Amino acid sequence: MVSYSKAKILVIDDEDALRGAVKRILEREGFSVVTAENGARGISLGTTDEFDLALIDLKMPDYSGLDVLREIRKHKPNTVCFIATAYASYETAVEATKMGADGYILKPFTPEELLNHLNSGFKKRVLILEAEALKNEREARLLEIAFERTRLNTVIKSLADGVLVVNTDGEVVYYNNAALKYLNLQDIVIGRPILEELPREIQDLIFANFTSEITEKKSFSVEVEIKPKHELVVEATLSPVLRQSGKLSGVVIVIKNISEFKKVEHLKSQFVSMVAHELKAPVAATLGFINIILNKEMNLSREQEVDFLSRSRVRLGSLLNMVNDLLDISRIEMKTVMREIKKLDMNQIISDTLGMFTADIKKKDLTVIFEPKENMPEVRADHGEISRLVTNLVSNAIKYNKQSGRVEITCCQQKNYAVLEISDTGIGLRKEEQEKLWGEFYRAKNEFTKDITGTGLGMPIVKRIVDAYSGKIEVESKYTEGTRFKVYLPYNLTDDELNN
Amino acid sequence: METKKKILIADDDPDILAQTKLLLEERGFDVIPAESAASALKLFEANDIYAAALDLIMEEMDSGFTLSYKIKKTEKGKKIPVVILTSATYLTGFKFDATTKEEKSWLKCDAILNKPVDVEDLLMKIEEYYSGTL
Repeated sequence: MVSYSKAKILVIDDEDALRGAVKRILEREGFSVVTAENGARGISLGTTDEFDLALIDLKMPDYSGLDVLREIRKHKPNTVCFIATAYASYETAVEATKMGADGYILKPFTPEELLNHLNSGFKKRVLILEAEALKNEREARLLEIAFERTRLNTVIKSLADGVLVVNTDGEVVYYNNAALKYLNLQDIVIGRPILEELPREIQDLIFANFTSEITEKKSFSVEVEIKPKHELVVEATLSPVLRQSGKLSGVVIVIKNISEFKKVEHLKSQFVSMVAHELKAPVAATLGFINIILNKEMNLSREQEVDFLSRSRVRLGSLLNMVNDLLDISRIEMKTVMREIKKLDMNQIISDTLGMFTADIKKKDLTVIFEPKENMPEVRADHGEISRLVTNLVSNAIKYNKQSGRVEITCCQQKNYAVLEISDTGIGLRKEEQEKLWGEFYRAKNEFTKDITGTGLGMPIVKRIVDAYSGKIEVESKYTEGTRFKVYLPYNLTDDELNN
Repeated sequence: METKKKILIADDDPDILAQTKLLLEERGFDVIPAESAASALKLFEANDIYAAALDLIMEEMDSGFTLSYKIKKTEKGKKIPVVILTSATYLTGFKFDATTKEEKSWLKCDAILNKPVDVEDLLMKIEEYYSGTL
C-alpha cells in the first residue's frame, strides 16, 4: 500500500484573498500547500514538481485554467486536478473533463465542499500511484524473465554438450550448435520433423520412449559412431519430458562427444590383446614341448627330451621377464609407487650397471669404454627408474653386439641436460625398424636376432621413463654397423614436475 | 618307396614350428618348415606341397592372410588345402571364421584353426578338403 500522511497540493488562483483562505483551510487539515498567483507560475510549478493534487482557477488574466490543466496533465499525468470557477457552464465542464480534469468545484465553495472534493481526489491519487507501482513492478519482472530466458539460452548455447529437444510429434523444439556438430547435421530447423535425420540408434531410443508407458523419469544412453574409426563417437542420453499431468510431452537428448575416450579405450584394449597374445606364445610353446615329452608314441631320445626341456626353460624364463617388464610399465604408467626423488650420481649408476653385465661382456669378448667425467652435476630422479633405463640400454648394446665388438658410454652435461650416450658395434637397425622401436612387443626380426631373447618391452620402458622426466631420447643407427642412443635428462625439474 | 606327402608349415615361433614338424613326421608326413611368410612362399613354389598350415601373425599382423592369398592365386595352390592358424581373435576383437562360402571367398583359405593347434584337427581339415566335405 502506498500511504501519504500529507497530501501535497498546488493552488493556482489570481485572487489573493481566495488563495490565502484556501491555503489556511487546507494547511489546517494537514495538507502541504504551494500557491501560484497566475497561470504561468502555476504551469511552471505544476510541471516541474510532483503534486498529489492541483486546484486550478478557470479564469486567470494570463492563461485559461484549461491551458494550465493541459500542461500539467502533459507532464504530470498522475496529479489529480480540479478546476474551480464561478462561471460554470456545461461546455467548460465537458472540456475540462476531456482534458483530464478529475473534478469541477463551483465558486464560491464552503470549506467542507472543498475538502470533500479534495479528499476524494486524494483517494484517487493514492489508487493511481498504487496502480503505477504495480505496473512498474510487473514490467520489472517481465524484464527479469526476458533476461533469465536470454541467460538460459546463452548457457545452453555455450554448453560443450549438444542439446536437442524433440516433442512427441518428432519435431524439434530446441537445439544448440553442439548438437548440430555432434550429430554431423547441416541444419536443424525448429518446428520441423527431425527423427529421420537422426542416427538409427537414437531413433530407436526415441521410439522406445514414445511408445512405452513412462511413469518415472529415467534416462537412457546409447553410444553412436557418427564418423567411423573413432573420429566422432557420441553418447546420446535421452530423458523424457513429462507434463504436470504425467503425460509425455517429448524428450531431451544430450549429446556428448566421447571420441577421445573411445580412442584411449581402443588403445587400451589393443594393448591388452597384444599382451595376451605375447604371453600366450611362450606358454603354448612350453605346453607343446611337455605334451610331446609325455606322449609315449613319440619315442623321444633322452637328448631330444633334454633339448625340449631346456627350450621350455628358456621360454618360461622369457615369459617371466615379460611379466616383470609389464609390471614395470604399469608401475610407470599408474604411478602407484611415488617416485623417491634423490640426487643421483650418473657415473655411479653406469659403473654399477656395467658391473652387472661383467659375465656377458666377457662371454662376447666386448671392449667397453666408459670414462666418468669429473664434476658432473647430480640428476634428481628415482634411482630405480634411472638404473632401469641405463640397464635396458646397456643390455641391448651387449645383446645385439657382435662378437669382440665395442660398447662406448659417455655421460656429460649439455646446458640444462645430463646427456647419456651409449653406442655399440652391433647389428644396427633398419630405417623402418627404428620407427617401430618404441612400440610395445616390437622386436626386429632378421637373421641376427633369431637367437636373441627379449620381451619387446625394453625400449618402451626406456621411452616411458625418459618421458616421465620430460627428457628425450634419440637413436642413430646403421644396419649391420651399430646403434647409438642419446638420452637427455633435464636437470632443473621442480618437485611437481617430478611427481607428475 | 612311396614318397611322403609334404606339408608346408609357416610359423615364426621356432619352437612351435619344431613341435608341429615332429608331430606331423610322426604321422608319416614330410614337413617343410618356414619361419617367415617370404620363405614359405619360396618353399611352396619349389616343392610339391600336399597341404599348407600358416600362422596368421608373422612379420605383419596379417602375414598369414597375405601368404594364403598368394598361394591360393596359383594353379598349384587352388588344388591344396590351406589352413590358417591363429590366436588373433584376441588381437582384433573380431571373431572370424572360414565356414561359410562368403567367408571363404574373401579369406582365401580353406579353414582357420585356433592356436595352439592340435595336429589331429589339422589333419582332419586336410582330409575333409580332399574328401570334399570341408
